[in-house]
Amino acid sequence: MSRSGTRTAAIVAAGGLFFVLLPPVATFAGEDYPISLFTRILIYAIAAVSLDLLIGYGGMISLGHAAFVGLGAYVVGILHQHGTDGQPLLGLLPGSDNALLVWPLAVLIAALSALVIGSLSLRTSGMHFIMITLAFAQMLYYFFIGLEKYGGDDGLSIYSRNRLPGLDLGNDLHFYYLCLSLLAAYLLFVHRLVQSRFGLVIRGASSNSRRIEAIGIHSYRYRLVCFAIAGAGGGLAGALLANQTEFVSPGLLNWTLSGELMVMVLLGGLGSLFGPVLGATIFLLLEEVLAMYTEHWMVFLGPFLVIVVIFLKRGLFGLLTGTGQRHE
Amino acid sequence: MSDRILEVRDLTKSYGAIMASRRLCLDIDRGEVHALIGPNGAGKTTAINQLSGDILPDSGSIVFDGVEISRMPPHRRARLGLARSFQITSIFDDLTVEENLALAIIAHAGHNFRFWRNCLKTPLVQRELPAALERVDLDRQAGTIARSLSHGEKRQLEVGMALTGRPKLLLLDEPMAGMGPGGTVEMAKLIGRLRGEITILLVEHDMDAVFALADRITVLVYGECVACGTVAEIRHHPTVRAAYLGED
Repeated sequence: MSRSGTRTAAIVAAGGLFFVLLPPVATFAGEDYPISLFTRILIYAIAAVSLDLLIGYGGMISLGHAAFVGLGAYVVGILHQHGTDGQPLLGLLPGSDNALLVWPLAVLIAALSALVIGSLSLRTSGMHFIMITLAFAQMLYYFFIGLEKYGGDDGLSIYSRNRLPGLDLGNDLHFYYLCLSLLAAYLLFVHRLVQSRFGLVIRGASSNSRRIEAIGIHSYRYRLVCFAIAGAGGGLAGALLANQTEFVSPGLLNWTLSGELMVMVLLGGLGSLFGPVLGATIFLLLEEVLAMYTEHWMVFLGPFLVIVVIFLKRGLFGLLTGTGQRHE
Repeated sequence: MSDRILEVRDLTKSYGAIMASRRLCLDIDRGEVHALIGPNGAGKTTAINQLSGDILPDSGSIVFDGVEISRMPPHRRARLGLARSFQITSIFDDLTVEENLALAIIAHAGHNFRFWRNCLKTPLVQRELPAALERVDLDRQAGTIARSLSHGEKRQLEVGMALTGRPKLLLLDEPMAGMGPGGTVEMAKLIGRLRGEITILLVEHDMDAVFALADRITVLVYGECVACGTVAEIRHHPTVRAAYLGED
């Protein structure tokens, strides 16, 4: 335990150092692009970590996580549009570009939607749960396609990033370090969460749903709150993604994004928290590199994923920390 | 406080044409070890499952410690002090031994959300965990993932979880099933130690163990209670000998 624990700590520290040192090294080398690519990686990592909380710890295999990412992004996009054209939202709320207002709202709306979706989905389990989460996400996807007021199919352009006192989010360097801090904070929160009393109940319910009731814990409420916490993480990632790409489209709610997030979690290692960060990094880097050679880059990524899933029960992170074979 | 911890009246449960419980009546006194025996298919596990709430009866009443519980969900019965083990060992395979027991400990501390503090380091768990580990002889395996315990140790862990929170009635569904001779002795010792502390309803196939441990015995045949009495009475009961013990 302690030896593999030290090794894990060393690897996490090395990863953290890598992300901290990347911008100065890239700037020194005169390359700006890596900073924007790795910003994207950090944002996807937040979404992947939140999905890992659901799948890896809670045993709730959701194929609709993109819904929360998309909702978070649309909160930024819609408030930006109202801020630009001066029309209040629903005749009441003025638009805003203030990150301190918009981002918490994005997180809150994603969490509340997760509460609603979760309260219905969690009455089912297994295959039905996968399908019902997928159905909810696709419903929202088509809802935003039909929402002509906010661009419909074409999406919404954002003309300037949100404002945050003391930082210039339009500056890629500032934005990168902000995303890194938010990822670190979310990781710390989830890391504590899964060891807490709440986390123990979640993991217990995932391990044996009948036993948890038999010892006197009704796990439904716990799992629902867990679903909302994961949804909030997705919403945060969505708000950041909208700012980074300065564009929001229904594609963010499509099941393909849910699938990609799931691939990142599996690639990095289910139930390892830091694994999904590694998974997001490898996935997006591979996509970047392979796409230079062929537009059918998935053809190469597919087999790679199959090999990882079959041979590494704990994903690439498990391989690094040396806990890869201990699963069974 | 009445002497009866559990009163079951006319409990009926059918699956299609099969009556798994047929107007079943059962009384358990405080402090006794009460065994439930009967041939295969007599409906012993169905009866236990209705007591714990995993199955709802078609009709009949179950009064536990003065409260009618026959329609209550399992987690609420557990909080009233009704604990159980399953016929097929049911523990949290993916958690460590201490996490398994910690879950059982916090289950009785009421409902609340704690998001930040490491559960194993909370005062409540720190206070109760050592005794819970010791009671079932698993102190040395505290950090082991439950999946990798031996079969007997898993059983001990399951009973240990059921005992945490000092239940008023412990339902043990074939605790010795599938154990080697050593494990059976261990389990019998554990049940013997609990005698007098907790009321136990024991479903068991091992007749030697039943006769050695039980104060009273109820015999089920085709979902119906055919006899109830002390060990000596049951040994010599003509219907029981014919229906059940005659096989031996």
